Amino acid sequence: MLFRIVERKWWYFLASGILIVPGVIFLLLGGLKPGIEFLGGTLLDVRFTTVPTTTAVHEVMSSIGHDEAVVQGAEGDRILIRTRDMKPDEIAKAQRALEARFPGQLREAPASSAVSPSFSGELVGNAVRSIVFASILIVLLIAFAFRQFGWAAFRYGIAAIVALLHDAFLVLGLFAILGYFLNVEVDTLFVTAVLTIIGFSVHDTIVVFDRIRENLKLNPGEALNPVINFSVMQTLVRSIITSFTVLLTLLALFLFGGYSIRNFALALLVGIVSGTYSSIFNAAQVVSLWQEIEDRLRGRPRAAPAPA
Amino acid sequence: MTGIGPWLVALIAVVAFWVDVPHHRFDFPFGCPGVCLRLGDRYYQQEIKTHLGLDLQGGTQLILRLRTEDLPPGSNTPLDTLNTQARKVIDNRINSLGVSEPVIQAFGPDKILIELPGVADIEQAQTIATRQAFLEFKVPDDANPGQFRSLEPPLTGAHLKPTFVTFQGQAQANPVINFEFTSPDDQRWIDLSKQYTRKQVEILLDGKRISAPEIREVFNSGKGVIEGGFTTQSAKELSLLLNSGALPVPLEVIQSTRVEPTLGADSVQKSLVAGAVGLLLVAAFMIGYYRLPGVLAVIALLYYTGLTYAVFRLIPVTLTLAGIAGFILSIGMAVDANVLTFERLKEELRSGKSLRNAVEEGRRRAFPSIAYSNAATILSAGILFYFGTGTVKGFALTLGLGVGVSFFTAVIVTQMLLHGAIEIPALRKRGLYGVEETSLEVRRATRPRPVGA
Repeated sequence: MLFRIVERKWWYFLASGILIVPGVIFLLLGGLKPGIEFLGGTLLDVRFTTVPTTTAVHEVMSSIGHDEAVVQGAEGDRILIRTRDMKPDEIAKAQRALEARFPGQLREAPASSAVSPSFSGELVGNAVRSIVFASILIVLLIAFAFRQFGWAAFRYGIAAIVALLHDAFLVLGLFAILGYFLNVEVDTLFVTAVLTIIGFSVHDTIVVFDRIRENLKLNPGEALNPVINFSVMQTLVRSIITSFTVLLTLLALFLFGGYSIRNFALALLVGIVSGTYSSIFNAAQVVSLWQEIEDRLRGRPRAAPAPA
Repeated sequence: MTGIGPWLVALIAVVAFWVDVPHHRFDFPFGCPGVCLRLGDRYYQQEIKTHLGLDLQGGTQLILRLRTEDLPPGSNTPLDTLNTQARKVIDNRINSLGVSEPVIQAFGPDKILIELPGVADIEQAQTIATRQAFLEFKVPDDANPGQFRSLEPPLTGAHLKPTFVTFQGQAQANPVINFEFTSPDDQRWIDLSKQYTRKQVEILLDGKRISAPEIREVFNSGKGVIEGGFTTQSAKELSLLLNSGALPVPLEVIQSTRVEPTLGADSVQKSLVAGAVGLLLVAAFMIGYYRLPGVLAVIALLYYTGLTYAVFRLIPVTLTLAGIAGFILSIGMAVDANVLTFERLKEELRSGKSLRNAVEEGRRRAFPSIAYSNAATILSAGILFYFGTGTVKGFALTLGLGVGVSFFTAVIVTQMLLHGAIEIPALRKRGLYGVEETSLEVRRATRPRPVGA
């Protein structure tokens, strides 16, 4: 079997667009909600006679609209709850909710203090700068791998970065939508999830490209599109199996991991699936499109269709 | 793969296993726990244990108060500026201690909350967090002989290059701190040596004299040393404090408590179980799908996990959830390197090659993909580590180390196992490699192949 993977590229680009554009719109609408690590907020210090589990306390906080609460046990039967900035009436509400759930267990009214962000925008700024710098080096690395094709080598590197942006924006967009409608916030774990996805995306793309490189070398004179079709098909099984094994681990984490890990696992799940999709259906197609545009500009005949 | 290779791989396995075994002591040759090395005047001691981050293990929480009453009268820096400056300095200091990913937050206007993973060296952490480390150089006061006065403006440790410790005196036994002023204080330091040659100057730390050396000659650079009767430990600590800058205001610890993991103990437990289940599924799948090579891959992955964990314990790397994400990604890439090799192996077998040729050809042709994709990941991890802070740095470290180790296991260990297996007659059936016994019909199945492939 041989899919016409290159010929149908506009359909795949369209599918990616349908998935990414709404997310980008919500990103522009400010849907990505920074979490308390970036904004700071309120720290409640509650003393109990019998300490409940942190999960139970988190449930109480969720029920009064503070799903972002980070609950941490401390020495001396204390529970520390970090939330968004809470007004005095909200703190009183939280106290009532805790008393209702754990009757007679609170030793005194919770002590509250304002806390500053524990992570500055510096963290995100540094990460973004690093990604830009790393992307440039990746373009150079891939160009080096394809150096025998002259200047055309750079289009492979750039296509890999396009695939990387595809995956990063898909996940950022998803969390912008989740943030807009469900107030899901992003934390430092989300930052690392995005970095992981980017790493995986580049890795996946390079494997496909390396196969294209090998087949181009084995079949000199062959048009680009059939070689891409063939190479993607050859690496298809590997792409799917590798993603599948990573997904197995992540799915286990998503289903059985604790509440604080769920969003992290979700971001990774979506990102890895997207990374596999973009490496099969987008990355090489960008190279093909580039070639076709160049051919048209120079008035060369279009590449022959792939053998069926 | 003959000769020294297999022995090296086996030796690494033994060392890794030894490092992985928890709670052991190794008292030879220096009588200290863990690993001790002495290289010249550098002494390296490393206790072998797993370092877990605040999110997974919990740690100690310190609440510090800004002692604004100790500020010199007339200073009118706003409280929130002082708080921000103090947090920046504490962050620098704790990071240079090597403590990974602390939490440092303003806690109300005049307090700072710090959380450090683990409980070891809390006293040291308290000193580091509260010592102001305000260095000042005073010159003889001509009006009051025997007294010293501040220069105008005071010459302080505000413009120093990073200081370092060396040893002086008999048997190189006295630690001293080497400093060097940067512009504009380097010129002031030279001028001071001209003006006060053959006279004593006073060096104060937090208002207390630590030494009063005599200036023996006119300096020609901004360099100098502080001798203060230090121990190696106290000299290193002071050097660290000077390098991280002085606190704008003295601090005091008003509370120190043990805190549980921020992710919640039950949540961490669940995630560990989930991770284990996930890895078992991966192993089952690899064996089911690839048969014998799958079994070899699982052995190589166990080797990989054991070796990486040993590296994490030795360096040491503080494991947080973000770090574990990096680790999981690197396991994924280790699996991938095996998948790439085995898919190639199958292809080569189907094209009618003999087992031995197929294994060799599979390795040769899978290698560029593995090398380039791993190089890209290590490159990115290196950049993230270099420029990153906190969580991002921890993630980059585990990812980079993990992929580095995975490259070794996937390329060397898996290949060695494959080469070993095909030497055993019972393991030479093509069926064991997930390929049909006869190769003719398979050739048809792999059509179409581009001409000449």
